[in-house]
Amino acid sequence: MIDHVALFLSMTGSISVVSPILLFAILGILPIFGCRLGERAIANLTQGCVTIGWCASISILCVMWTLDLYKMPLGIGNWVEIPEEHFHLEIKFIFDRLSIPFLILTYTLCGVIGAFATRYLHRDIGYYRFFLFYAMFLLGMVLSSLAGTIETLFLGWELVGLSSALLVAFFHERKNPVRNGLRVWSVYRISDGAFLIAALAMHHLTGAGDFEVLMGAAPWPLGTASCTEAQALAVGLLLLIAAAGKSALIPFCGWLPRAMEGPTPSSAVFYGALSVHLGAFLLLRSSPLLDLSWRLRLAVVALGLMTAVFAAMSTRVQTDVKSALAFASLTQVSIIVIEIGIGLRYLALCHIIGHVCLRTLQLLRAPSVLKDYHTLENAIGGRLAIPTVGEHRWIRHGWMDWLYRWAMERGSFDIFLDEYIAGPFQKVFQWSDRNEQRWTDWLAGQSSKNCRGTRTPVDENDLT
Amino acid sequence: MADGNIDIAWLSNEIYLAAELLPSQGPITAFAFLNPLQGLETYPFDNAMRMVKRIYGNEPYLEESRYLTKFRRGRISPDDLKIVIANDLGVAAKRQIAGLLNLEELRMCMLSHAIYCGINRELDWLIAESNALKHFRSDVFASTATVLHASTRDWVDELLQRKLNGEPQTRAVTSNPAIQSFVNSLHPKTRSRWDQGKWESVCLSLLWAISSVEIKRVFQAQSPVQPIRHRDNLKSVCMVDCDQWVHEILVKFCAAFLDQGFANWSLPNREKGFFVAFAEHHRARMMGRRWSTGLRAELSRIANSGITPLESIRESLGLLGVSQAETQDYLRATMLALRGFSGMLWQTEVRPERVYLASPPGTLIEYLAVRLILDRLALTHCARQSLQYVGPLSELRAFLRSKIEPEAEVTAEQQAYTVFQLAQLCGWSPKRLASLSGSDWSELSRELLLFSSHERRRTYQAAFERKMIHQSLDAIAIRASQPPTTTSNPRLQIVCCLDAREESLRRHLEESDENIQTFGIAGFFGTPMYYRGAADAHFASLAPIVMRPTHWVAEEVVYSFENEDRNRARARKMIGSTSRRIHVGTRGFFGGAIVTTLLGPLATAPLLSRVLFPRLTGALHRTASRFIAPPAVTRLHLERAIDIASSERDDGHGFTVPEMAKMAELALRDIGLISNFAKLVMFMGHGSSCLNNPHESAYHCGACSGSPGGPNARALAAMLNDFRIRRILGEKKIHIPDETFFLGAMHNTATEEITFFDLELLPSSQIAGLRWAREKFAQVAERNAHERCRRFESAPLSIKPFEALLHVQGRAEDLAQTRPEYGNSTNALCFVGRRSRIRGLFLDRRSFLMSYDPTCDDGESSGLARILKAVIPVCQGINSLYTFSAMDSSGWGSGTKLPHNVTAMLGVMDGAASDLRTGIPWQGVDIHEPVRLLFVVESRPEPLLAILDSNPTLARICRNHWAHLAILDPDSSTIHRFIDGRFQPYVSQTMSLPVVANSAEWYSGNRDNLPFARIHP
Repeated sequence: MIDHVALFLSMTGSISVVSPILLFAILGILPIFGCRLGERAIANLTQGCVTIGWCASISILCVMWTLDLYKMPLGIGNWVEIPEEHFHLEIKFIFDRLSIPFLILTYTLCGVIGAFATRYLHRDIGYYRFFLFYAMFLLGMVLSSLAGTIETLFLGWELVGLSSALLVAFFHERKNPVRNGLRVWSVYRISDGAFLIAALAMHHLTGAGDFEVLMGAAPWPLGTASCTEAQALAVGLLLLIAAAGKSALIPFCGWLPRAMEGPTPSSAVFYGALSVHLGAFLLLRSSPLLDLSWRLRLAVVALGLMTAVFAAMSTRVQTDVKSALAFASLTQVSIIVIEIGIGLRYLALCHIIGHVCLRTLQLLRAPSVLKDYHTLENAIGGRLAIPTVGEHRWIRHGWMDWLYRWAMERGSFDIFLDEYIAGPFQKVFQWSDRNEQRWTDWLAGQSSKNCRGTRTPVDENDLT
Repeated sequence: MADGNIDIAWLSNEIYLAAELLPSQGPITAFAFLNPLQGLETYPFDNAMRMVKRIYGNEPYLEESRYLTKFRRGRISPDDLKIVIANDLGVAAKRQIAGLLNLEELRMCMLSHAIYCGINRELDWLIAESNALKHFRSDVFASTATVLHASTRDWVDELLQRKLNGEPQTRAVTSNPAIQSFVNSLHPKTRSRWDQGKWESVCLSLLWAISSVEIKRVFQAQSPVQPIRHRDNLKSVCMVDCDQWVHEILVKFCAAFLDQGFANWSLPNREKGFFVAFAEHHRARMMGRRWSTGLRAELSRIANSGITPLESIRESLGLLGVSQAETQDYLRATMLALRGFSGMLWQTEVRPERVYLASPPGTLIEYLAVRLILDRLALTHCARQSLQYVGPLSELRAFLRSKIEPEAEVTAEQQAYTVFQLAQLCGWSPKRLASLSGSDWSELSRELLLFSSHERRRTYQAAFERKMIHQSLDAIAIRASQPPTTTSNPRLQIVCCLDAREESLRRHLEESDENIQTFGIAGFFGTPMYYRGAADAHFASLAPIVMRPTHWVAEEVVYSFENEDRNRARARKMIGSTSRRIHVGTRGFFGGAIVTTLLGPLATAPLLSRVLFPRLTGALHRTASRFIAPPAVTRLHLERAIDIASSERDDGHGFTVPEMAKMAELALRDIGLISNFAKLVMFMGHGSSCLNNPHESAYHCGACSGSPGGPNARALAAMLNDFRIRRILGEKKIHIPDETFFLGAMHNTATEEITFFDLELLPSSQIAGLRWAREKFAQVAERNAHERCRRFESAPLSIKPFEALLHVQGRAEDLAQTRPEYGNSTNALCFVGRRSRIRGLFLDRRSFLMSYDPTCDDGESSGLARILKAVIPVCQGINSLYTFSAMDSSGWGSGTKLPHNVTAMLGVMDGAASDLRTGIPWQGVDIHEPVRLLFVVESRPEPLLAILDSNPTLARICRNHWAHLAILDPDSSTIHRFIDGRFQPYVSQTMSLPVVANSAEWYSGNRDNLPFARIHP
């Protein structure tokens, strides 16, 4: 009996992982051989794979629920092993009370978004590209949700990051999407750097990237971490930086509204919903670390609180619907982070699920805002009230103007990052560029500026 | 050099002149179909097109490759091209160019082949890496290739012979180093080994060698116009775009200033005007971009010195070194840099009644003042950082211009490559080219320059329009030569909007029964008004955008349902405020946390159902909202006592009886419905429905300022059912039989649903007639949906009529649908005349149809003047907006809908932050083939000329060729076209028109535009 269950679970588990891999592989490999699928074929393929994955994940939930199973690991073995360095790269998935809701959420929302996008992007020249990135995103989300080792999580995390950045820059014939895509990508680099260092630190601490080893073998959220407080604080802070980048917490908040450059469905599912919660998910996954160090928890709560206040203020001054929703999203994500810091993990999980569903709907319906307001005004029978600055009970008049400006400038966090983080790098690169120019000019014996190939009309070799 | 003496009044006048070129589109919720180039209508069309690229940076025509595709698919015919070229050139057409071919042939050759002229570096690559010098172009005829082979062989032999004999070579050889070295390397032994392929490459290399050297020798580059703004010069020198910096501030601030109530916090000090609000906003110290560090100081300096925004503009222009002569151009270019927002500020300033929060007078000037200050700061910083320029700004342009070599539109290399390609296509052998004299080369070069890319596209477009015009005029002439359809005993008369979408509805109705008679009228049915529905909070203008109504009409629930209405209104209000609270809550802090956690998962239900089962969800939603909708029995409050002034207040609503009689009389007279009334006459306004679409208003009635036109139809019907009005009409010789009943209705152009108004007033004697009519409507809805579905790629061509109806209904309920319908896309024609003369013509939903009966008009054609005054600007506005949006979708149109982001409740941006995007999105014009509208008016030359003389707007549009104009003689099928300011007889190109039994037979299996045909059952 147990064998059958185990077999069934590992089969359905594999299906839920393999179907997005298959989708991504097919969509990714076909164009290499010059084969372009039509719109309908892409739509059917996507919907098929997502439906299969969704069914598999639902059946896992049902089986585990009825049999009172809390945890089911699914290992695919070590891919790289360097025994003398105590290093192994293990791909392993874990099905537990944290990953299964996330998995189902991913499949449900991606399925809806996929169905939405097949019509929304009809006849767009980027149709194929969109679904390729979509498949990459789905795969990334599935891998991250189910990751049982930090390497697996990193793999999924990277796929999500890459596809997000590419989708922000989806309309690459315009300048702003590309700039903003690049910005998202750069912020992700910082958070990925922190993540990678955290992963290395984990390996050093425990000899493996396995969450089970570090966070204890008990099913989530009961695990207890097996390291000292200082170690937990160090790894935890690195993970917090990683989470802050992915979830757009202070000081990285600037990228979230900028990410609203892609087609509406991608904005909806990626930034409004799934992707932006990945940071919170990481914190949830590594929550046993939080239990060890109150300093870490304090840092998490403080960061969440600051971001929440900032985002709640910012969303009030936004004049365009997508930015307003982006900051509204951010407010809730920060509150979720606070909840995690306090230790309310189930609440955080419920909050994530509720928020993701609601926000996706709101973002998908973002183009309806005019009609919605019109309907509301008709129902209420007048103009919707416009509260003005300076009428707030608690804050002095002059301060409100300042706050308005601050919220409007989005806390100047972007400027801070540009001037103090990116600025020095830029200066070094420019200096290097100037030197390289000088060096090549010297080698070439002429100035490379204004150099336009002086070419004889016909190469003599052509004629003889 | 600018000086302080510029007159302030003069400056403000210059600003307002420049503002005329700003986009004229107002708030997106009342979509205005106006020509985006309205400000240039004072110029002839062709001249204006030559200016737009420089002024707006947008493309005036389609890309050349797209025209070439049309040419290859037969949408542009070679004959039309030839005639257009011949007309352009006149006697010069037959002039020989360099003894090679005549001018007409040269142009024709360039138009019928894809002449590639890439940018210079691309050409370098082509020559060096591609097969350009190895194989002939694939479209070179075999015979031409053979001739080229043979003549090359002969010439090479000749050169070789001379070399062996020691004779001197010709000038072309000696003066061309490449050929010289080729000749030097020539050897009988190697030559004898050359195969076919080698000869081909020798021929091509010689052609390229000759053309590149000779063209370079004679080429005279046209000096390009230097861009006027400092920013453009700076950008071409150091690749930094300071507008990007400035816009980062301006986009956010303009959106906050214009915001109609989206943000919970509105902009502080907004009421003090743009300039003060901006200054106050930037008073606080805060970390900003480095370039803007001086902004605070500059703003407070201006505030302290007490100068006005206009004086600040003068000061800025002086500091920037803008001379008085270029002031207008400079200001215009500055405003157009952020044209969407500038235009919206201007529109909300001059048409304050169109928005809730209008901009105070002077906003545009204040905006410009702010913008110039920001420009100055950005330029100073950028020039210092990138170029170490520290001199005064006024000399920056001169400094920059000295650093750049302006790139000409066409370079010698590109032209040489053109000649190289032409030589292959026309079979000019190397020897022939080598024998050309210097003056021959300069002549060729000059002619190629004259026939620039712009001119080529203009020619294509003219030829394309010519074909369309001929097709339309021929079809009309042939149909008009046949006897008009007589409906002596009409059973049902339907008056629709002149909208092109109603063409197919009317055609199908007429096909379904010969006793149905249809009319077309501008969709506000001659009753301009501000209207408020029973469940609406505000009045909306139901009149063309160029008109400002002076009457207010409200829909009221009848007295017997008053209590129920009050209860339902209360329920609506409760639900409304709850959902608003939830909506706002989700964006807040604590509220958001509670709402999202508790209610969030419930959102999956609408999310899944809306996306996966759109039609079912729509039906559910409608059923549910029926419980709180106002009671079904309502009336329009139409009548106002004669001694009360019209006003927005409740007691000022409505029209007086004489006013109503006047409107009713004109409406009937204009369309020629003054006798032979059917028992049932319907006025059918139209609207549309769709979801998740900020551009929804663009699908409603264009003659009702982008609102549904149903209330106007309802109002007119109610007026005409009033016995007092009938009595007055009777005095004016319009006798409406007592048994005739007028019924208002609305056609939903997306779902094909038809709603009737005031049915409870229908006399029982009319019920049978209405039942019969509704049966017809049910059939016609399916047929019309079927015809529309051929344009939707997502509907299979094999779709059945009833499936087609479900398909179009599904589109309207689909959250993900970006094309609920195609609106007036593909419009090309506007017929003003009696329907009976063209009834039975398949016009493919491409024609606006306005009814006008010249036999009912008075001697001065005052009826026609009245009609054309409204119809020509409205239809030409619709056509221009579609046409230009299709010409350059991201320039004139608003690009693709997918990243659109509703901003300030007034417009859409692309993605996170961009200028406001005006025009029609790509998804609305992707099937539109851009043509200027052709008006065909049933009238005679003299009255029409008189109308043009008396109405400057019409004269501007028709005389400057912003639309084509033709007239159909009321008594014969003679057609005159309006060319060069006079009417010239039109000679039919064809005498035959395809005849089919019904519309479906003609359009089935086709997605493209179709030729017109005669439907003859």
